[in-house]
Amino acid sequence: MAGEEGPEGIGGSTAFDELTFPMKPAFASILAISLSTTVPGVVGEEKPASGDEAAIRFFESRIRPALSEHCYECHSAEAGKSKGGLRLDTRESVREGGETGPAVVPGDAEASLLLVAIRHGDPDLEMPPKAPRLPENVIADFAAWIENGAADPRDEPSQGEGSPDWESRLDHWSYRPPALPTPPEVENDDWPAGDIDSFVLAALEKNDLAPSPDAEADVFLRRLCFDLVGLPPTPKQAAEFSWSRLEETVDELLASDGFGVRWGRHWLDVARFAESNGREANIVYPHAWRYRDYVIATVNEDTPYDRFLVEQIAGDLLPYETEAQRARQLIATGFLAFGPKGLNVQEEEQFAADLLDEQLDALSRAFLASSIACARCHDHKADPVTMEDYYALIGIFKSTETYYGTWVDSENNNGGELITLPDVPGQLTPGNPIPKKKVDEMKGKLAVLNEEDRRRKEAAQKARAEGKDLRENFNEMVREALRIYWTRGGLVGKLAEVDDEGNPLPLCMGTLEAEKPVDSPVYLRGELKSPGETVPRGVPALFGLDPAPPGSDDASGRLALAEWITRSDHPLTARVMANRIWSHLFGAGLVPTVDNFGHGGEAPTHPELLDYLAVRFREGGWSVKSLVRETVLSRAYRQSSDYREDYFQADPDNRLLWRANKRRLDAEVLRDSILAVSGRLDPSPRPGSLAADLKSHSVSLVGFDKDVPSDLDGSDRRSVYLPVLRENLPDVLDLFDFAEPSMVMGEREETNVPLQALYLMNSPFVQEQSAAFAARLIREEDSRADRIERAFRLCFNRAPDEEEVRMALEYFSDPDAAAEVGEEEMTARFCQVLFSGAEFRIAD
Amino acid sequence: MKNRSHSRLAADPPSGDHGLEARATVPRRDFLRSTSLGLGWLAFSALAHGRSASGSSLGATGTHFPARAKRVIFLTMRGGPSHVDLFDYKPELVRANGQSAYGDGKFGGAPLVGPVHPFSQRGESGLWMTDLMPHLAEHADELCVVNSMHTDLPNHAPAFVQMHTGSFQFVRPSLGAWTIYGLGTENENLPGFVTLNPPADSGGARNYGSAFLPSICQGTRVGGSQLPPLYAALRNEQQTPGPPMKNISNDRLSPREQRRQLDLVRGLNRHKLERDVHQPQIEGMIESFELAFRMQSEVPRTLDLADEPQSVLDLYGIGEGKDAFARQCLLARRMAEAGVRFVEIASPKGWDHHTLIKENLVDNCGETDRPIAALLTDLKRRGMLRDTLVVWAGEFGRTPYMQGINGRDHNHKGFSLWMAGGGVKGGMNYGATDEIGHQAVENPMHIHDWHATMLHLLGIDHKRLTYNYGGRDFRLTETSGEVATEILA
Repeated sequence: MAGEEGPEGIGGSTAFDELTFPMKPAFASILAISLSTTVPGVVGEEKPASGDEAAIRFFESRIRPALSEHCYECHSAEAGKSKGGLRLDTRESVREGGETGPAVVPGDAEASLLLVAIRHGDPDLEMPPKAPRLPENVIADFAAWIENGAADPRDEPSQGEGSPDWESRLDHWSYRPPALPTPPEVENDDWPAGDIDSFVLAALEKNDLAPSPDAEADVFLRRLCFDLVGLPPTPKQAAEFSWSRLEETVDELLASDGFGVRWGRHWLDVARFAESNGREANIVYPHAWRYRDYVIATVNEDTPYDRFLVEQIAGDLLPYETEAQRARQLIATGFLAFGPKGLNVQEEEQFAADLLDEQLDALSRAFLASSIACARCHDHKADPVTMEDYYALIGIFKSTETYYGTWVDSENNNGGELITLPDVPGQLTPGNPIPKKKVDEMKGKLAVLNEEDRRRKEAAQKARAEGKDLRENFNEMVREALRIYWTRGGLVGKLAEVDDEGNPLPLCMGTLEAEKPVDSPVYLRGELKSPGETVPRGVPALFGLDPAPPGSDDASGRLALAEWITRSDHPLTARVMANRIWSHLFGAGLVPTVDNFGHGGEAPTHPELLDYLAVRFREGGWSVKSLVRETVLSRAYRQSSDYREDYFQADPDNRLLWRANKRRLDAEVLRDSILAVSGRLDPSPRPGSLAADLKSHSVSLVGFDKDVPSDLDGSDRRSVYLPVLRENLPDVLDLFDFAEPSMVMGEREETNVPLQALYLMNSPFVQEQSAAFAARLIREEDSRADRIERAFRLCFNRAPDEEEVRMALEYFSDPDAAAEVGEEEMTARFCQVLFSGAEFRIAD
Repeated sequence: MKNRSHSRLAADPPSGDHGLEARATVPRRDFLRSTSLGLGWLAFSALAHGRSASGSSLGATGTHFPARAKRVIFLTMRGGPSHVDLFDYKPELVRANGQSAYGDGKFGGAPLVGPVHPFSQRGESGLWMTDLMPHLAEHADELCVVNSMHTDLPNHAPAFVQMHTGSFQFVRPSLGAWTIYGLGTENENLPGFVTLNPPADSGGARNYGSAFLPSICQGTRVGGSQLPPLYAALRNEQQTPGPPMKNISNDRLSPREQRRQLDLVRGLNRHKLERDVHQPQIEGMIESFELAFRMQSEVPRTLDLADEPQSVLDLYGIGEGKDAFARQCLLARRMAEAGVRFVEIASPKGWDHHTLIKENLVDNCGETDRPIAALLTDLKRRGMLRDTLVVWAGEFGRTPYMQGINGRDHNHKGFSLWMAGGGVKGGMNYGATDEIGHQAVENPMHIHDWHATMLHLLGIDHKRLTYNYGGRDFRLTETSGEVATEILA
């Protein structure tokens, strides 16, 4: 196994010698020799021109190249510039012209300012500026082109007709700061329990609709428990609940650890949390779980949301009073580190650029529901974000060092490092110690390899200097270089995880400031080979807010970014989170596109309510628990989910909230509910993660690890502690619509496929839990009828009706059974039926 | 809550009294189409239409154009098969064999290498092919060889992912997933998109993933994953362990016992449905249990080759030495026959011949030639070739010049693939590379163009098959893609 047993395995393996090596461009640099081949770069293929008119051909062959070469730098969307208000990259913009008038008037060369400018006919309008005139033949081409009608196939590249122009892009509901609206007057003023209800009711009344009555208490309690702690009500909770105890019940649930498990997981979806890299080289991140625990703890402590965001962006830069606080803040920056990366990418610069892009993209989507990173290759096509804005922000991350671990091996060309946490009493450090002797041995091997590599490079350089033809020794040289490169990767990686004595170090993923901050150039078309003007790093003037520079010359600007995102007049931050909270409680956001508040997203169904929630959230100290509390205490949340034919016809998607939505349970809630009902649930947090215990570095090899259950489960703990290996999720998560962990997912898919049914029918997990549930029923109740009743209560928080009892009893007595089946086995089969039923998976 | 439509408060009125039809946002014609595909499809279809742009909804026939292919068998040849040695015959390359500094010192002075094995003209069409594929040569007149393929990057993993999803950069649904999204499934007892022993590396599950599309579109992996070559060599194993498909059988209950169990599930579900009056989700769940129950017998039956006559096994070469790939080819036919719309199989070893290309090509072709030819023969005999699109493709090709002393390097600027059946013209070459096979120059076909063409053959307009995710309409071909109409039969 390369990377793991790699160092030893590779060196001595005969299999290794038989391999045909992939010869990748980067190996040229590893070999430190110039191979006799070209190194292919990223080459955009040029398509033959479409359209067969001669005029278009003329444009394509003569005019477009000249525009591109001489003009676009200052007059195009790609460059993000329109000097003098002029862009020359579309037909419309050329004809419309800039501040001085139309650049091109088809058929009229004299009236075309473009021609005046390139002829240097006007001293105030000489183009290109401060440069000699273009060659005469080029000028003649432009003249001929204009005379012949200025044929131009270039449609507006960025947007269709009717889309907002740049200025009006800022005039968008989500970019205007929220203001606390006055709750509207309503006719039925008995109904509202608070301000939320006034907004909901006003919208209903405006449409001649009325809210649904309150749900039955048992239905409501089940909904509430799923929503707040992700588990069905316990018998005790069920017995104690009444409407008069509503507030106490809510407070108890908010105070329980289960709240952090449930709502922490919501955040992990948004944070695209995962414990492996995914993508082409899927390497395990054995330390990512610390961030998971951080999130759960933060939610349980109800750390103010603004503080929570600041810690994730710049926790390493915050002051601290204790080592424990320092550790926690470092772990928070894991958010920036565990994204999917192109670990197999050969070109270091490309790898680095993609990593920064992913960080910015994840951060802006998660915190701002904004697709800022779309401006990497061109100005944003709908939202007011230019390429300059993008690269100013990229400069912040470029001035940041990302510690994501992993080491170089046959899959991974971009091994990274980890952050060593301060020594905190009681801090968990999983991992097996390596005997001191073995550590020294590994260090010795590493030294030998380093020496071998030095000599190898030297020899290659010498041979090259002497003009020797190296091709004869090519295979051998590659093999030797790779042996050193990969073996060293594994050694370095493993040694980095232990101290000199071989004891595992407490490590985390995260970020620190780079040694030297740098600004980024604007890369035209996003291509690294086309750097343009350098832009100072920092937060640009986005969304109508003032820019936020890094503060000092040696700061990356992350802290400034974090402060900018959480400033009280930011139009997006509070709204986005208030909407996320709402969507988790109602099954749909007030803004249905929870991860996109830009022009491409949808408008809020209840704009005033959203602003009300956002302002309450912010002014209430950014407390998630307070906002959840206020929301679940509303009458709107309390409504029944019953169907009403006439209302359904008027508003089939329930956008006006005339009832509660019936909701499918998330994968974790389904699994945790099965465990809770069977009595097997272990509510204690899992120390570390299965991902941290894996023997292999590569996810491709996880299946060979005999200690790892094939469904990647095998635990009775809450599902939030299951390993999140990208592309290789535990079965239950994979099948029941877990959030794709490579994307910011504020909202999950809902699918209904037979593989889900097969899991419920045949998986060892469900079968085992059914047996455990049966054993519990038999232990707790004496008669079959009592067991049936109790099973219904545990699963659905209600007693079975007569028909259901009849069906159940009929199932138990099978007159045609081939052989007698014991009571325990029949009960287990019956329990599996309950787990499989629709009601188990739906919160009414 | 994904299954809600975008826009209006007042939707189309529910038609009729059928509980499912009352999903008011599904146009009636879609409903009718859906019923013929099984109700499980409906739940998904409703969802799909709720989220997609209006332009994407398919016509009453279920396709945008008359479909020439109903299904696809995709033979992936990872590693970059050498087109200049297999399907792109270049007399100039033969002539210039050994010349260094061809064309004024191009290629860093590396010498050109002519085909390392002979080419011959095959079939009535006189298609040029390597002599290493004598069985496939029998089908020369069925093959549409595209010689002008090109892709964006010369690195395996991104190019392999781009071949499958159109994008090397972002997480996007795979071709198979788009196909299922567009056309649904043909056999309600089997998944619509199956991939047999896909490679674990080169993007892994991304290559058959559904990304933001509904997960019903995602490919179902059958069998273990093929390990990355280095791991395979070190472990002396080709695949990850595990059953062909998880949870497909129940060893504790007899079918009768399980049927009784499911009858109770259904009874309770129906009972709840009556109380709830209108609950499409429950309808969907009831149906998916029925499908699952039927899959339990159908899937193992499809995977079991025992009922194939000896003559068919012999045709593929099953039972003779290394026959894993032959089995996959036969399984592909069985699945296609049973109604799996998109079947993908992967070559048993990679084509990444940086060294010893002459020797390695003999191995690679030897292991794949007969089974692939047998697949074509078998499909033809059953009358299935005319509406089954068979595709043979790698993520890129190889250089006409030498790498090291006996290999060729990656070449993404020009390479070849072939298609057969399913509405493509046979016995033809489409497009061309330059005189030495380095770069596509005539009718260049980018991956997007190729995807557009395949979707066209399936009756789908690639520009209209869109899915709205995060406020943007996505499609397989991003913002480009042109259908190569010349190759349509």
